[in-house]
Amino acid sequence: MPMPCGTMNSATRRYLRRFFVALLLYILFIIAAVVAFARYHPTGPLAYALAVLPALGIIGQMAAFGLYLAEEKDEFQRTLGILSMIWGIGATLSVTVTWGFLEKFVHLRHLDLTLVYPLYCVLTGISYGLLQTRYK
Amino acid sequence: MKNRLRVLRAEREWSQADLAVRLEVSRQSVNAIETGKFDPSLPLAFKVARLFETTIEAIFSDES
Repeated sequence: MPMPCGTMNSATRRYLRRFFVALLLYILFIIAAVVAFARYHPTGPLAYALAVLPALGIIGQMAAFGLYLAEEKDEFQRTLGILSMIWGIGATLSVTVTWGFLEKFVHLRHLDLTLVYPLYCVLTGISYGLLQTRYK
Repeated sequence: MKNRLRVLRAEREWSQADLAVRLEVSRQSVNAIETGKFDPSLPLAFKVARLFETTIEAIFSDES
């Protein structure tokens, strides 16, 4: 997710606080899941619950950005956030669908789906930077 | 969209940052509007007009 940095208004501060809380939860959840599967080899519903735990941290990060868009009063900054998200989604879909066809037809290495969100974050961040220069 | 923000601002000797504070937006937003790269919403256009004590049409024009 992009880090709005035009001005550090209250919506931006709240976004950063929520984002870092969600990031911290993601790190804790992924460590918990890795340790639990390595040591205790859980099965059944518990295994499913532990496996999806890290995703909650990522969903939290997306929710934080959604709340930022809802709370940002500066319409230009909000537009920058929305545009960078759209560009990020488009770029991520372009990369992953291209990778998918390469995987299918020329047996390129399998793309781990857990990498899609970090890829989206990077591409959205780049988009935000490009948009910033466009409006400077 | 063309606008007279720069002129109106200069008449009052306000910087972009001064105007941004008065409009409760970022300086970058003022710059984007002033340079015609971003069209403000109707509520913001009304806010700008009220601040300069004039009408929206006196500030913004849709002529290219």
